[in-house]
Amino acid sequence: MLAKRIQPMVFQARRLYVELMFQVMGRALQAVSEIDSAVQKEARALPDGFLFEMMVMPDGSRLIVEHTGNGRFHYHGDSAPRPVDLSIQFKHIAHAFLVLSFQEKTSVAFANDRMLVDGDISYAIRMTRVLNRLETFILPKLVAKRAVKEYPSNLHLPEKLLSAARIYLKVATHFVETVRA
Amino acid sequence: MTNQYYEFFCPVKVIAGKAALEHIPYELTGLAAKRPMIVTDKGVRAAGLLDPVVAACEESGLEIISIYDDVPPDSSTDVVRDIAGIYRSEKCDSIIAVGGGSAIDTAKAVNILVSEGGDDIAAYSGAGVIKHPLKPFLVVPTTAGTGSEVTSVAVITDTTKSVKLPFTSSFLLPNAAVIDPRMTLTLPPHITAATAMDAMTHATEAFTCMAKNPLSDAYATAAVKKISTSLLQVMDNPKDSDGRLELAQASTMAGIAFSNSMVGLVHALGHATGAICHLPHGLCMSLYLPYVLEYNLESIRAPLGELLLYLEGPDVYSATPASRRAEASISALRKMRDELHKRCKLPRTLKETGSVEEHQLDTIADMAMDDGAMMFNPKEVSLDDARAVLKRAWA
Ligand SMILES: [Fe+2]
Repeated sequence: MLAKRIQPMVFQARRLYVELMFQVMGRALQAVSEIDSAVQKEARALPDGFLFEMMVMPDGSRLIVEHTGNGRFHYHGDSAPRPVDLSIQFKHIAHAFLVLSFQEKTSVAFANDRMLVDGDISYAIRMTRVLNRLETFILPKLVAKRAVKEYPSNLHLPEKLLSAARIYLKVATHFVETVRA
Repeated sequence: MTNQYYEFFCPVKVIAGKAALEHIPYELTGLAAKRPMIVTDKGVRAAGLLDPVVAACEESGLEIISIYDDVPPDSSTDVVRDIAGIYRSEKCDSIIAVGGGSAIDTAKAVNILVSEGGDDIAAYSGAGVIKHPLKPFLVVPTTAGTGSEVTSVAVITDTTKSVKLPFTSSFLLPNAAVIDPRMTLTLPPHITAATAMDAMTHATEAFTCMAKNPLSDAYATAAVKKISTSLLQVMDNPKDSDGRLELAQASTMAGIAFSNSMVGLVHALGHATGAICHLPHGLCMSLYLPYVLEYNLESIRAPLGELLLYLEGPDVYSATPASRRAEASISALRKMRDELHKRCKLPRTLKETGSVEEHQLDTIADMAMDDGAMMFNPKEVSLDDARAVLKRAWA
């Protein structure tokens, strides 16, 4: 009886968490692309106006960013101004949760068939590298090591941006504690 | 509990061994196919490899309606459209691909067009576009390396836009792969060596890259064992049909392994080198394999060490301390490359190929960074890393 009432709450918390994390990542992508040269270098190879989406199948939360040129990303929230060029799709919200709560590395999630790429695979590789770089910025070192294949040695970001992102993260991890079972 | 999760899929019936070709009529009849078309290339026809296939069918009263034997080494959208046109005008109802990677990829693409309709194969490019089973399709590989008979991928060049179009769908998989030792008996030594090293690389990368899983591991280790045991024997005695069958089976097994667990940096560098310097794929694999394993070493020590058992056998494995096994596996592969160089001059370094110039290395590295295989390499590869591996492979 109790299980039946608790489960929907867990599901809802997970959905909220994924939605919130998409927002955190979208804003952070834009912020990092304004100051980090490694991210800019990766992004410059994308066409101007390139729209990138990360979403949960079949029609769950999503995150949309645009490469506006010169290595800069613009966060569009959850709606795209036109059809997206590259979409990374989680097969289920449970898989999105694993990745966005940093329990599973993005590359591992790909390897484990947790998500699909719709679009040019070489752009997907590039965006994965950008996301890895992003995760090392917004996560404490210990957690970041779990989330990316390798922790880079050359991180130079204003402490201000880091702490702002980490505040989001604190709110976010609160959900993990609640939802993890 | 770990987060480990995996998927494994291979619905291809494998028909392998002596007189395997003679099973083709039965298999096609079982799929209600009566009017097969053969898709192949000039080399296969010139080597007389079509004769036993056609004879096997005709003896059972199954007429081959049409033979297209002009698939180029780098197949294009035009070729695919032409073949589909012939298939339709001859009212064929099934396809038999006889050949290596290019003939097989072409036949997969033709099957998309004749099953889904239309003339524009580019419209079906991408992942998951095809939603229905295609026409009955058999593959008879004539090289032992690519594993294309068990992969759900085809790559076709769009000549007008000069881009390579990828097609991915489990419906591209053939109904059956027919592995008959007669088909690889006449492969020249350097092709035997290069294609076997391609299969060896498929197995090694499948076993050491990120998407490895228990089922693909079983196929990968069995493939490594077969290649280590049989390759040099076949090089010394090309007419050894038992050895040829071992290599052909190993190639299929390695194909099953890597199509379920993907490949890594060796393939990323190899694809780029193939595109820029026009070197055969198998040769590129042989060139890079040991250098990439050295680069990945600390991330793959355990699985690479385990491979020693299949590369060198139980005696060497048990005589080697556990902490040295990974290095010993790399030495075993280097030794194999030296032996192949002795027997057929298969190059071991980029310089030895005579087709690569040192100033091209940076272009190769740039291109490799965008390759899909990068995703599954166990170590995160930076541009500088890729350049460093290429430098080591240079001479
Ligand atoms: Fe290969």
